[in-house]
Amino acid sequence: MVAQFLDIITTAAFLYVVSSGLLLVFGVMKIINFAHGAMLTLGGYAALLCTKAGLNPWLGLPLAALIGGLAGILVERLAVRPLYARPLDAILATWGLGIVIGQLITLYFGRGVQFAEAPLTGTVNVLGESYSIYRLSVVAVAAALGGVLTLILRGTRLGLETRAVIMNEDLARGLGINSRLVRFLTFTLGSALAGIAGMLITPISSIDPNMGVPWLVNAFMLVLVSGHSLTTLVVSCLVLGGAQVLVSAYVNPILGGLTIAVLAAIILRIRPEGFARA
Amino acid sequence: MLENTETVTRPKARASGETWRALAPAIAIALVGAAVIGIGPYVLDSYSLSVLTRSLLYAAVALTVDLLWGYMGILTFGQSAFFAAGAYAAGLIFSHVGFSPATAPLALVGGVVVALVLAGIVGWLAFWHGATNLYASVITLVLPIVCTQLIFSGGNFTGSSSGLSGFESFDLSMEAWFWLSGSFLTAITAMAWLLVNSDAGRVLVAIRENEQRCQYLGIDTPRVKTLIFLLCAVIGAIAGYIFAGYAMVVSPELAGFVFGTELVIWTALGGRATLIGPVLGTLLVDYESAQLSGDYPFVWKLIIGSAFVLVIVAFPRGLLPLVSGAASRIGRHVLPGGTGERAVSVPRLLALPVSDAQGTEAGSGPALKVSGVRKSFGSLTVLDGIDFRAHAGELVSLVGPNGAGKTTLMRCIADGTERTSGEVVVNGHDLGRATPERCVALGVGRKFQTANVFDTLTVAECLRLARSRHERPSLWRRRDVLHLPEASLHVVRVTGLASRLGEEARLLSHGLKQALELAMVLALEPRVVLLDEPTAGLTKAERTQIGSILTDIVRTRGLCVLLVEHDLGFVREISSRVIVLHQGRILLDGSVDDVVSSELVASVYTGAVNLEHTA
Repeated sequence: MVAQFLDIITTAAFLYVVSSGLLLVFGVMKIINFAHGAMLTLGGYAALLCTKAGLNPWLGLPLAALIGGLAGILVERLAVRPLYARPLDAILATWGLGIVIGQLITLYFGRGVQFAEAPLTGTVNVLGESYSIYRLSVVAVAAALGGVLTLILRGTRLGLETRAVIMNEDLARGLGINSRLVRFLTFTLGSALAGIAGMLITPISSIDPNMGVPWLVNAFMLVLVSGHSLTTLVVSCLVLGGAQVLVSAYVNPILGGLTIAVLAAIILRIRPEGFARA
Repeated sequence: MLENTETVTRPKARASGETWRALAPAIAIALVGAAVIGIGPYVLDSYSLSVLTRSLLYAAVALTVDLLWGYMGILTFGQSAFFAAGAYAAGLIFSHVGFSPATAPLALVGGVVVALVLAGIVGWLAFWHGATNLYASVITLVLPIVCTQLIFSGGNFTGSSSGLSGFESFDLSMEAWFWLSGSFLTAITAMAWLLVNSDAGRVLVAIRENEQRCQYLGIDTPRVKTLIFLLCAVIGAIAGYIFAGYAMVVSPELAGFVFGTELVIWTALGGRATLIGPVLGTLLVDYESAQLSGDYPFVWKLIIGSAFVLVIVAFPRGLLPLVSGAASRIGRHVLPGGTGERAVSVPRLLALPVSDAQGTEAGSGPALKVSGVRKSFGSLTVLDGIDFRAHAGELVSLVGPNGAGKTTLMRCIADGTERTSGEVVVNGHDLGRATPERCVALGVGRKFQTANVFDTLTVAECLRLARSRHERPSLWRRRDVLHLPEASLHVVRVTGLASRLGEEARLLSHGLKQALELAMVLALEPRVVLLDEPTAGLTKAERTQIGSILTDIVRTRGLCVLLVEHDLGFVREISSRVIVLHQGRILLDGSVDDVVSSELVASVYTGAVNLEHTA
């Protein structure tokens, strides 16, 4: 019971970390960044670089953010900005750049599966159940990320301008907000978050050039059922992540892997606004 | 009348002209395809032959991506799933039951049925009133992932990750498989060519260009999308079945997301919405992949990925239009006089015989009865307690300051899903929660505030779309004549649109676009016409013309027109009654004189009155 409850909480935390960057980009730009998976992969390889250099694994966190952010700047300039008026094409172009990033990684690191050192190892006793310290620590990281993002959005001028662009971009521009800058910064931030997420998932997933893809689709679906709200995303991650844990445990792990995608598709069909308030 | 008699005497000549014009390019495609496929085995080595047999089948699936994405605007990542459905049906039945003349057709039918079921589920999930294109794309992305996992979880039955192999299959030579795949692709291409160049093909493009306008022309767009999706699923399944028969091995990658996206890449590189482009793109890229990926697998994928990004960003129409554009420019230099442009055939306009008019019969009660209509966004109520009736032969103007709720009221009448509560009855039919296309069928026509036409379609094509509810568009040819109801034809003739039938709608002046949209709405044979500022941005002369057309059709055709208008002078000239809206409520409902002389209305317009104080 306890272990299952902890599984649900920690799975939701991983999902939140993986999809929050995507949600920011979706909110501001109304497009889904298909290069998100490649940026997760970049984050994973940042962790690998740290391990190879013999550094403290936690240093992978800023390194992954840096690499992800730089990739984001590149993707935004090359593919997103020129295709502002063609959202479906923007999606395709980000997917194409994702392929390019994946192939560059393969050329440099090879296509084999590799492993990075986990920042924390061992277990801790929770209510008589020994549980992975690392998984629990990710809950704290996810909560901290959510807190910082909410602070940025609620407490800073940039956050105010970002929320204005999310609500009504034309009006925001009319009020003198540089929406182009907001979009650029959001995309960079979202990509840096993807890098961080990629680094954080390395202990529970292997590192290979396609490691981002399985997470990508779940992240899409979570964002679509959550709309533009980071708070709603917490709910979606808990409900759908919880369903995934339960189906994996009681039915079959392969179907468990499909739970989020299938449930989200059905939820959206029945209630188009998903978990967001109408 | 003269024109009518003319058509009666010459129907045969016309029909054969239509038939020949439609069939000639398709026959040309079939002949060229057959010739190339026929000589293939005599000039290719056996390795190329074997690779190209696969590529030909992939190209058939890429063609379905082109139909869905290039023509209809649905970006699909999931066509691989249908290919796999056909391939696995063959693999499973030939492995577990065995290959025999009885099981071979059974496997084909099984594969097609599974593909249809999958496509039906995707259609139900992805295509409904109000679903966005992005959402539909994500659903098509989920499809291959689900299919791959289902194959993985099938254990020995599906062969899990290693797939099925070593089953018996048709005993055909390499050349025969090549011919079979090539003929299949050629036939599919020729048929797709017929479809996209037919009148029905214009419906697909119209959905891509402006789905909302389609719905308000009574076209059930979710249904059209689902039908095309089902058709594409069948093509994919047949291609997959041939593939399994030839390769004698099926693997989960066939259903995969990677294959699904490769199909999109090939389509984009070749040239979306060209049919031939995706076919050539697939053949070239897949063949080259087989040649090069052995030696330089990652570099090759890197090149393809980069080329894909470049094409999407810089040459969205793909490489085929680029190449053929350059060729025709050179051709024009060499052969002066050739314009390189396809002549657009312009249909002849004919009045719809009165006996064929299908507009809903005028009932005995009011044409439009609105009771208790309310619309709120969360806690904000923008319309409240709207009650009024309007009869056939009435032209009711809806006036009020900006933000009074005029356009919202129009929307609440023409789309049942918009209303928060209240009832709208048209001609005795309760509209209930009907979607716009259902409302159109019950006799409501709506013209939008800004001219809302199909920019890349010609004037004639726009008008034909408006008639598609009554006259099912041909699936394989373009009709030479276009029947319009008298009211619509009147607008087309009086405004001069009749002489510009072959021009694309985006080239029209603002005034003519407004007139075209009005003609399209009238072509629906509505009983109640909702016009949202039909004269906005028009010159004085154009406005007078529209005004006299409106009064004329109301008087002679017994239509009921509800008009939103800001120009009170214009309202005074043409209206039989005026309703004043203010802050979401009806302030006054009376004759033109009542309203013009009302001090209350004057003060509302000058901003002196707040409803809360007067109520």
